[in-house]
Amino acid sequence: MAKLFDFQAVWKQIPEIIQYLPVTLELAIISMIVAVVLGLLLAVVKMKKIPVLSQVINLYISIIRGTPIIVQLYIAYFGIPMITKYIYMQQGLEYQASDTSGMVYAIIALSINESAYIAEIFRGALASVGVGQIEAANALGMTYFQALRRIILPETMTVALPGLGNSFIGLIKGTSLAFTCAIVEMTAQGKIIGGRSYRYFEVYVSLALIYWVITLIVEQLIKVIEKKLQIPDQVKMVETEK
Amino acid sequence: MIQVNHLSKKFHDNVVLDDISLDIKQGDVVGIIGPSGTGKSTLLRCINQLEVPEHGEVILDGEKINLAKKNRKQIVELRKNTGMVFQRFNLFEKKTALQNVMEGLIVVQKKSKAEAREIALQELDRVGMAAWANHYPKHLSGGQQQRVAIARALAMKPKLLLLDEPTSALDPELVGEVLETIRKVAAEGYTMLLVSHEMNFVRHVANRVIFLDKGHIVEDGTAKQVFDNPTHPRTKEFFSKMNLMTQPEYTI
Repeated sequence: MAKLFDFQAVWKQIPEIIQYLPVTLELAIISMIVAVVLGLLLAVVKMKKIPVLSQVINLYISIIRGTPIIVQLYIAYFGIPMITKYIYMQQGLEYQASDTSGMVYAIIALSINESAYIAEIFRGALASVGVGQIEAANALGMTYFQALRRIILPETMTVALPGLGNSFIGLIKGTSLAFTCAIVEMTAQGKIIGGRSYRYFEVYVSLALIYWVITLIVEQLIKVIEKKLQIPDQVKMVETEK
Repeated sequence: MIQVNHLSKKFHDNVVLDDISLDIKQGDVVGIIGPSGTGKSTLLRCINQLEVPEHGEVILDGEKINLAKKNRKQIVELRKNTGMVFQRFNLFEKKTALQNVMEGLIVVQKKSKAEAREIALQELDRVGMAAWANHYPKHLSGGQQQRVAIARALAMKPKLLLLDEPTSALDPELVGEVLETIRKVAAEGYTMLLVSHEMNFVRHVANRVIFLDKGHIVEDGTAKQVFDNPTHPRTKEFFSKMNLMTQPEYTI
């Protein structure tokens, strides 16, 4: 009788799955960068309470947070080609949907999804910067954007970092749904192996281990960055002549 | 040199400043005193437009600036010429004392890093904080933070220095070092508007004292005139209340 649970298989298929780690990381890192930039933009517009634009952003955040990421991935994967095809047809051009890699759709969907959450993280962090510092910057003659770049953002980043770290970890795990856009990353490869050996359970155990280790590493990295951004506890006095 | 004309400011229905005009001569140290909530701080904050008044203009070296209008170029120009010291210091928390002073020089005055550093060190030295150049605000006491804040304002070489209750948030023990710094700066000929509750200090450092009540200037003169011979009944009442505090509880 075959073994009920094959420990060996769990370890043996890990290297085969890890071959696709670069795909997972590419998805996660590019989406994260786009999401941070977009999220920051959304947060600043919301903070400045720019009319119309703020309401549009509120709706955007509400829709994105209110729908599952797998649905968003499907909508991106099927919807974006439809729109591009329509535009091409208007121009009288031929459109080949298969020319575009699934990565593009997955990155669009993941970064839009993450940007909504990150916008809220930044909004909280921006609000935590004291009005006094902004007033002091203004009193020196700085414009809002100079103050934003030089004074507000450095402090915002420190406050936002733990939240951003959480987001990134969530995003890494979110990439496991990228198979919806016909991408073979780690989870998709695991499914392929499972389909070959019928050892699905072992594959999922291997996947769980891999994702957990990645998350542990990311957590440590965030801790290192947090330490770097922290104001040191003690500073030496400067030697003066007097 | 600096003229403030017809300044009026309301917060909702509450009139804080009512058509105030003020003429400040070069090198004047003007002490602004008066009861709480009479618009002393608002007056300062309107002059550099941290608060936008309903009416009012400032004439600075012949250039007229409408304070009620939000003209970004003019506001920045005005703020470049005025320095401000806040009640709560408002140092940049993520920057060292030195970086705090350098910030405006680099970002606003577009000076090179080396030049900004040199000026900043001089200014820190002037307020006696050179040894703490690499300290962050959270490492410094309130008095030290305020001295750095004064250095930050002075580094910009403002034509007018606005001091908004610079010692109100300090422990009694730390008030002295900040007052001493301000006294030194005043002696160097800076033009200053000083809002303070330290009556003795205002009396000694200011060559002109203004008593503000309910948005009006009710008394305006030299320190001696205002403190020793107030003419307006409101001023008299204010000082008599203050004197009650310093009198012995009973006399034989």
